[in-house]
Amino acid sequence: MTLFRLKILTPERVLFDGEVQSVIVRTTVGDKGILAHHEPYVAALGIGQAKVKNGDGAERIGAVSSGIIEVTEEKTTILAQSFEWADEIDVERAQKARELAEENIRRWKDDQRKLDISEYKLKRAINRISTATRK
Amino acid sequence: MASGNMKEIKRRVKSVESTMQITKAMELVASSKLRKAKMRAEEARPFFDELYALMCRTAGETRGLDTVYAVKREVKNRLYIVIAGDRGLAGGYNSNILKMADTAWVGGTKPKIIAIGKKSVEFFSKRDYELIGEYPGLAEMIKVADAADIAQTAVDMFLSHETDEIKIFFTQFVSPLVQNPVAMSVLPIIAPVGNLDRPNRRTVDYDPSPEAVFGRIIPRMITSLIVCAVNESYASELGARRTAMENATDNAQEMIDTLSLAYNRARQEKITNELNEIVSGANAL
Repeated sequence: MTLFRLKILTPERVLFDGEVQSVIVRTTVGDKGILAHHEPYVAALGIGQAKVKNGDGAERIGAVSSGIIEVTEEKTTILAQSFEWADEIDVERAQKARELAEENIRRWKDDQRKLDISEYKLKRAINRISTATRK
Repeated sequence: MASGNMKEIKRRVKSVESTMQITKAMELVASSKLRKAKMRAEEARPFFDELYALMCRTAGETRGLDTVYAVKREVKNRLYIVIAGDRGLAGGYNSNILKMADTAWVGGTKPKIIAIGKKSVEFFSKRDYELIGEYPGLAEMIKVADAADIAQTAVDMFLSHETDEIKIFFTQFVSPLVQNPVAMSVLPIIAPVGNLDRPNRRTVDYDPSPEAVFGRIIPRMITSLIVCAVNESYASELGARRTAMENATDNAQEMIDTLSLAYNRARQEKITNELNEIVSGANAL
């Protein structure tokens, strides 16, 4: 299978830079699979999973929370606010974050902004947990 | 007289010594913090560069596709996001970036300011700038939620034509000894020159539409830009502080040397005088 270059970056570190067979990401309009020689493409990423198939066919799953994917002729870049591989996720921490977020949603019922933030955090926590447990 | 002088010199040596202890301690604190901050800034750099390149590229690709984000307007109102430190005693770090922002505009109305860092807030509120946002205490570590707030405010202002130009002022970390204050244009997005002439340029597919993608991406891009710029600035601040404190320590040492020399001279003079007195007293007998 033809390989192409994939880069995954977050503000904290470079998570991946190498040749892959395919990558599937969750954009704001649905899942999108990228193979080699994909046409130039830009989309916003939502909270979801990214599946990367390495050069040797092994699949790795990561939890993404919001970002951008850009496909150019030279390479595909995922710029994510945060990105963790399934085996790196601290499930206990995510579990705690989930409980805290649920509690905050009950507490900030009347404050839309805080409610939005809590909801976002809840989604992220749930995404982390489901990514980590389904490897 | 001489003994009074000696006492005075001794007192000064002591005070300089205690100052030196403080500057030395600050230097050490800054350099240990610097290591961490430098790592953070350097690790964020690939992301930062890629993001900015993507922003510019996207602007280039979409020329002709009237996105409001890429259209240059006549600049009447400006919005500056200025990042400085929370603390002083960092050499020229704070004043360099603040002065740069203060003198960056010509004509039109005074820029509106979003100030990040205590020094930035103080500087602009003293000079009658209109502060849209004040974020003291964030210079060391900015939360994504705060950065997202700032980005959203900025984008909203741009879309409602309250501002025609958004720039972010921060200090680029080149090395522990070199820091560059820079002004980076955020909106409108400026396409790099020559991008249009690239051969076999293909149109980019935006999902679901360029406008929608821009609307979602731009606030996020700006959020990330702010986070990265704060990280860079903080590393620069520590670098500048370390250098400043190193110089202060050196100067204190030099001062102590000069004062010790003066002290020894005074002591010698006093002994000579005493001897003179004894000898002349003996002679008189």
